[in-house]
Amino acid sequence: MLFKEDKVARAESEAVRTNAGWFRWTHDLVELSGADAEKFLDWVLVNKIAGTPVGQGRYTTMLDEEGGIIDDLVVMHKTEDTWWLSTLYGPQMCAWFDSHKNAFAVEYSDRTQEFDMYAVQGPKSADIMNKIVSDSVDGLKRFQLLETTLAGAAVTVDRGGFTGELGFEVYCARTDSEAVANAIAAAASEYGAPRLTTLEVYVRSLPMEKGLALRQDYKGLTPFEANLGWSVHMDKDFVGKEALEAAVEGPARAFVGLEIERESYEDIGQNEIIRKRGVPVGICRQMIYGYTVDKNIGFGIVDAKKVPLGTQVTIGPNDSPATVVEPKWC
Amino acid sequence: MAILNHVSTHRGVETAFGKIIPEKEAYSYCLRTIAGFSANIFQLMRVLNDSWEDRTEKITEIANMMNCAACAGGEDELHEYLNAFYDEWNIPELVKRSAWIGAIWGDYGDEAEDMAGRVIQFTENRVEKELDTCPWDIVGSEMCNMTTGMFTANFDIAAGGEHGAITNDVQLNMCEARGCGNPHCRVVAERLDHYGLEPQGWLDHRGAAHDPVHDTPPERRVKHAQGLRSGQYTNAFGEENSLEWQYNWVAQMGWVWSISFPLIAIRDMADDDEEFERLLKIVFSTAGKNSFIDPFAREGLRNWLEIPREIGDNDPRVMGAYIGAMLGCQLVPFEWEAFDGEGVEIRVDQDTFTGRFEMAPLDEITLGYEAQWNGACHTLVSPEWSVWIDEDDDDFIITVGRKIDDRAL
Repeated sequence: MLFKEDKVARAESEAVRTNAGWFRWTHDLVELSGADAEKFLDWVLVNKIAGTPVGQGRYTTMLDEEGGIIDDLVVMHKTEDTWWLSTLYGPQMCAWFDSHKNAFAVEYSDRTQEFDMYAVQGPKSADIMNKIVSDSVDGLKRFQLLETTLAGAAVTVDRGGFTGELGFEVYCARTDSEAVANAIAAAASEYGAPRLTTLEVYVRSLPMEKGLALRQDYKGLTPFEANLGWSVHMDKDFVGKEALEAAVEGPARAFVGLEIERESYEDIGQNEIIRKRGVPVGICRQMIYGYTVDKNIGFGIVDAKKVPLGTQVTIGPNDSPATVVEPKWC
Repeated sequence: MAILNHVSTHRGVETAFGKIIPEKEAYSYCLRTIAGFSANIFQLMRVLNDSWEDRTEKITEIANMMNCAACAGGEDELHEYLNAFYDEWNIPELVKRSAWIGAIWGDYGDEAEDMAGRVIQFTENRVEKELDTCPWDIVGSEMCNMTTGMFTANFDIAAGGEHGAITNDVQLNMCEARGCGNPHCRVVAERLDHYGLEPQGWLDHRGAAHDPVHDTPPERRVKHAQGLRSGQYTNAFGEENSLEWQYNWVAQMGWVWSISFPLIAIRDMADDDEEFERLLKIVFSTAGKNSFIDPFAREGLRNWLEIPREIGDNDPRVMGAYIGAMLGCQLVPFEWEAFDGEGVEIRVDQDTFTGRFEMAPLDEITLGYEAQWNGACHTLVSPEWSVWIDEDDDDFIITVGRKIDDRAL
């Protein structure tokens, strides 16, 4: 949980918003290759992967046959023959691929234990990166990759992150992890950029303020219900497409923001029931304190027809009063 | 809400008289009965050993060792064991999972056992967990130290960044305990290197936190865990377990940590098995008698089980229905062999009855419940009726019948 009076968490959050901060941000990493790699990714993912140039990544969701989100990930075209899939659920992803591989000529493996990833985030992040990488990160577009060296180690830099700020993610071999971390720490300290130690600041608070959600928030929703319709390419075939086409009446559920009026949210756990005039109308995915907006904010899934934006609801066992808002605060 | 919408989802335990005890109520009762059994065992321990320090140290050490033993094996086996947890619980690599799996583990267990609360802080150097309720709050202070010492194993087996090595990187303290009169239980894990702390001894797990704690005000406390509130537990990384899954899990695991583990040390506190079992029967028998001393307790049971008025007070079916409800809520399958005014017979598989957790069958369940139910029967029904348990091939037959015993306990 995060509380408004937590000075350490507030300082870490402010650093990323106004200066920079860095942290270990190692995701599960599934590597995929093979003659049908591009076709296969186009089949299992909703975004258009074919044609992604080498050195570029794309955000996408992965659906089950019912059209519900089972993962969201960044697909990186690492080399001509190799794709990196950044997810929090590598083993589950591989199992899903096993059951959907069919006749596709692809190979994939979970390489999470071989690589570490560090995130450098904030307005000054490019300055910090340029101090330590052999090639400038200036000019990199969002999700564009840079193969370079850092502290003598080969690294892949992705212009991206999960804070809503300018940022970079540095992939390195586990064997080079300490050297890379030390180099980032030294450069960051020159800019007064701290290493973030409060997990919930960089996993939940900073992202949520900017409307960035985790798979666990979206799980089971269609991309349209999750406000991710922009990433769906209905002009190609993909797992879950039929279900999306069948849902002609529009989204039954809405992915929304929540603001509670009380001081804190100790009584609101994951998936706490949301009520409107005492009647269950949805669930709260998670609450957190946002230090930039100075509010207790959260994501929720509600009945799309019964709960328009602005609806007054209550959440949890002690009926904490809340307002339904857009799921993005700054 | 029309019942039609819930017939298939709102399950429960059927009593001898056809009443359905709702699943959530049965789950809560199950937890409390396990805690009650545990409280009796701890009373026995206090009879056998009059030194708080000595008995607490002994049960803490054995519980920690048994918890470590759960993942015993070579380096690769431990690695596999941990990876299975990481995958099963969706614990991402970014949380430095090798260091903090203990906290995630603990949160899951707390919630399954309706120790309702919240993770106040989860940082690289410190985890603070605050609980508003604890079904085991009747057991006593030794358990608070024991469980905290036991769960250091969950940190130790994965800590230090060395897969396969059991290290000791944190202090784990239950700074406050509801069973000791505090409003909350509060468990704090703090990294030794960050706080400049020393490794703890077996009796050191009730120390203070080294950073300020957060005290949730009464108006935002909760009465039940996530499962009982909203139907499922969800951890911080999205792993979900249904109420049904939790109930089944706890009906096994509750017996392990709170009874099976400390019993290993408690048995050794007696001079021999005969002495241990003699005292165990006395403690459980007393607990049983006291269950229904108050007339309103008897009336309350009749009301809870909806025992028809035509069944009088001095009827074995009253006791039989009580045993049946307890077994049902503890998720122990059984069959009625007889249920009339002449007596009650309940058939239950021996392995099921004593082996709630298959790896650790507990003969003490039979000894304890036989004494407890017999004592309870004397006050709930009358001393004309007794409860005893016989073996019948692979089964037990639990009987409520007439018995004259000139040396009755």
